[in-house]
Amino acid sequence: MAGRIIGLISCNYNDDSFGQLTAARSLASLPFGGRYRLLDFAVSNMVNAGIRTIGLVTPYFYRSIMDHVGAGKEWCLDRKHGGLFLLPGSIFGPKSEQSSFVLRDIIKNRSYLERTRAETVLICGSSKIFNIDFRPMFAAHDAAGGGITMLYKTVNDAQGQSGTYLEVSGEMVQAMTREAAGPVNCFMDCFLIDRKLLLNFCEWYRNFSHVDLVDIINDNLDNLQVQAFPFEGYLGQVRNISDYMRCSQDLLNLEVRQELFGNAGQIRTKIEDNTPAKYSGETVVRNSLVPTGCFIEGTVENSILFRGARVGKGAVVRNSVIMSRGIIQPGALLENVICDKFVTISSGNKLSGTPGKPLVIPKNSEI
Amino acid sequence: MRKKECIAMLLAGGQGSRLGALTSRIAKPAVAFGGKYRIIDFSLSNCVNSNIDTVGVLIQYRPLALNAYLGTGAPWDLDEQDGGVFVLPPYATQAGGEWYAGTADSVLKNLDFIDNYDPEYVLIISGDHLYTMDYNKMLEFHKQHQAELTVSVIEVPLEEASRFGIITAGEDGEIQRFTEKPKNPDSTLASMGIYIFDWPVLRSALQEDAANEESEHDFGKNVIPMLLAQRRRLFAYSFSGYWRDVGTIDSYYEANMDLLAEKPEFDIFEQGRQLYSNANIFPPHYVGEKAVVQNSLVCNGCTVLGEVRNSILSTEAYVGPGAKVEDAILLPGARVESGARVMRAIVGERAVIETNAYFGSQDKEQPIVVVGDNEHVADDLWSGRY
Repeated sequence: MAGRIIGLISCNYNDDSFGQLTAARSLASLPFGGRYRLLDFAVSNMVNAGIRTIGLVTPYFYRSIMDHVGAGKEWCLDRKHGGLFLLPGSIFGPKSEQSSFVLRDIIKNRSYLERTRAETVLICGSSKIFNIDFRPMFAAHDAAGGGITMLYKTVNDAQGQSGTYLEVSGEMVQAMTREAAGPVNCFMDCFLIDRKLLLNFCEWYRNFSHVDLVDIINDNLDNLQVQAFPFEGYLGQVRNISDYMRCSQDLLNLEVRQELFGNAGQIRTKIEDNTPAKYSGETVVRNSLVPTGCFIEGTVENSILFRGARVGKGAVVRNSVIMSRGIIQPGALLENVICDKFVTISSGNKLSGTPGKPLVIPKNSEI
Repeated sequence: MRKKECIAMLLAGGQGSRLGALTSRIAKPAVAFGGKYRIIDFSLSNCVNSNIDTVGVLIQYRPLALNAYLGTGAPWDLDEQDGGVFVLPPYATQAGGEWYAGTADSVLKNLDFIDNYDPEYVLIISGDHLYTMDYNKMLEFHKQHQAELTVSVIEVPLEEASRFGIITAGEDGEIQRFTEKPKNPDSTLASMGIYIFDWPVLRSALQEDAANEESEHDFGKNVIPMLLAQRRRLFAYSFSGYWRDVGTIDSYYEANMDLLAEKPEFDIFEQGRQLYSNANIFPPHYVGEKAVVQNSLVCNGCTVLGEVRNSILSTEAYVGPGAKVEDAILLPGARVESGARVMRAIVGERAVIETNAYFGSQDKEQPIVVVGDNEHVADDLWSGRY
């Protein structure tokens, strides 16, 4: 089955609500969970489902994505047959448009879709955090005779959150809305579509290429066969900085960790060959995630460290995220802080945000 | 194939029988070390860091784990178009099949492999030593002295000298005497089992040695003494720095524990040092609400809910709530279930210390205890409670 499906992942969208965190990177390459980037979930899910041909629509700032995925080695995508295809995205308009699947990005890369014999394309965004075994969804798509199958999760806490919500009846999508009230079926930026139908969209809408694929589907709901497929597992939605902090803290929950990293399949990421994490004799570490390459001499609580982070003697890191190579010097105190990569916090600094509004320290800062 | 200046032959066929349970199912080079490494990683990393891109790995004893671990060589960047890592097992011919009869014999049986690259020099190394070395410097020395064979040597304490191949060399480094495990050593320069040969010299020496029916076909015991007797140009290259052959459980345990020092002698943490390994991709380790982790190394995929002190937790190890691990090494996937206690012990890969079980002893006079891979230690009143 998976051999008849190719993947298409859109990384060409961004969001102003992340401030400095996405100033020079796309949302797709936002570091997450101690050693991952958001994109890893989409790519790994596809690879774990047996998909070996994946097109990546690159964002305007694609350096960090290229640095991360390379030739796709860690995902077994450096292949003779199939593999990773980099599809240059168009320069996006206002970030606030929130358009994840602009048709012109697909039109520009039509050859990717034309030169395959795959019948179906699995299209995914790159900023939602979930680990799924796609095979039941593939089977449901087949059983329904193809068309379009959209993945959703029923949530209770979407009130006031922007997103796409599906009205589902009899496993078919009846309508889509942008506003949520009460329990809603949140579209997970992930759908299966017959390749020929997708190519038809490219043809029919070639003069309206700024529109979003999901809007096209919405406009044609009456004429199309659009199934809905429910997802029951953990869905991390990163829409702004406080979401980012909340989703990071979710990882400290055993069930979430098992769902994301234990059950369905491995989430793969770039390998760095760091040494094991080293703890000194006086450390206090509680309820935290620590990857390789870290040196800890101080106190770390309810926090997520990334590779190569260092916490000096007497330093305290609480409810915080310290990205790669962050150096917290002896005696510094951090509470509700997100340190981007390569940040140094020197001794004596006391930095704090609030759980709802974490303080963000931009990349390469020295404080 | 393109001619190479220098290729490496890595001896990885030995059992390492003195490591007991640790090598009952895997060869010594495949034994886990330092949390996320296997012993062979250190010599492979040395090759890569010395720009040697062609490595023949000679295997014989229980090779499955080693084969699987080496794969295409990609984790060490040894997946080369022209060269790379080659696993070389004993093989059958029209004349029948034979095992490798000794270190020299294993290289002899792979003359075809070396001839393919027509190298000027062949580096012979072991897959079971811990050290960091730039082989280029040794090769430089070899060329400068117009040596036919260069043996890397290290200063050892006189009382330990009888465990090694001992070399007496002149001021200029020319080797005068070589005695394998001498009873009364007259020098403290020990061979590290690292050799650089001129390829034509090695080629003919191996063939000559093969014709000698009394030979054990061992580099140290036979080939080097033979070349010395022939008055060939043999030189000793002095290496200073950390070098260990972790041959026994005690030395394996100590070498691991040495990594916990603030500035370890074998400093794998040194900035700018690149050690490669074939690591699976596991999430960062989780340290629980009530956990204690002090003076320890912890790898990805671990879960620590109990107390861990002065210990090494390899990839995917688990320490349950209320469990205590002290002065111990948990190998990849080892589990210490809730309430269990592990002291001065090595817990094998995927081995389980069951709920409330005791394993090991705090008594420093007692030997280090080992539970083999996949084995279980149950809660038993008599299981070594101190």
